[in-house]
Amino acid sequence: MFDIEFGNNGEIVCSGRLDAAQCEKAQSFMDSVADGRVLDFASLEYISSAGLGVLLKTQKRLAENGAGLRIINVNNHIHDVFRYSGFHAIFEIEAPGGQS
Amino acid sequence: MQKKFNRSYDSLEDIFEFTEDILANREIQESMRFPIHFVTEELFTNMVKYNPENSNDILLDVDASADGVTVSLTDFGVDEFDVTADREVDTESPLEDRPIGGLGLHLIKKMVDTLEYDYSEKQSTIKFTKGND
Repeated sequence: MFDIEFGNNGEIVCSGRLDAAQCEKAQSFMDSVADGRVLDFASLEYISSAGLGVLLKTQKRLAENGAGLRIINVNNHIHDVFRYSGFHAIFEIEAPGGQS
Repeated sequence: MQKKFNRSYDSLEDIFEFTEDILANREIQESMRFPIHFVTEELFTNMVKYNPENSNDILLDVDASADGVTVSLTDFGVDEFDVTADREVDTESPLEDRPIGGLGLHLIKKMVDTLEYDYSEKQSTIKFTKGND
């Protein structure tokens, strides 16, 4: 189960498991985002490399207009995946408690 | 415990539930489950992606004990593709130069203790192990 929607403050809220089967849903939503946003991962349990592709594709598109994604409340496992992928150099990423 | 799964991304939810049941029943610690699910998905989706015309199911075998977890995936009627071979992966270049995709095999090597590939008679078997932290 995976869900993605706008939160009350315009942030993008993801929840559940973002696996390869859910990437079309995630990409379709992200393609509708035209400006820089906060991506709240507090309820996102899991992401695979297919989900990383969705994030990277969106970040590249937003960067063309000088914008980008800030990903917050990243759990430890997803934080490891980002670290192994070198995502800290190309995204603004915050673990719970505000640590990058 | 073994089970065959349809060669489709739509099998991922069933694969997660099948694997999670085994890990939970064997009381495998929470911190090990994410990497096990991650590596299993990456290997399975690789098999789906690179042989979409193949109609054979993919066999998943999960064995969990107090010492750790062993998972193997077997793909039938396929060409050889050694997932353990070294491949160059770009994790340092600036955003505009980063390729989309290609991270999966790089990431699984960071998460497993051992990764083995065996190929014979058009059959690929990938086995990985992860011990308790």
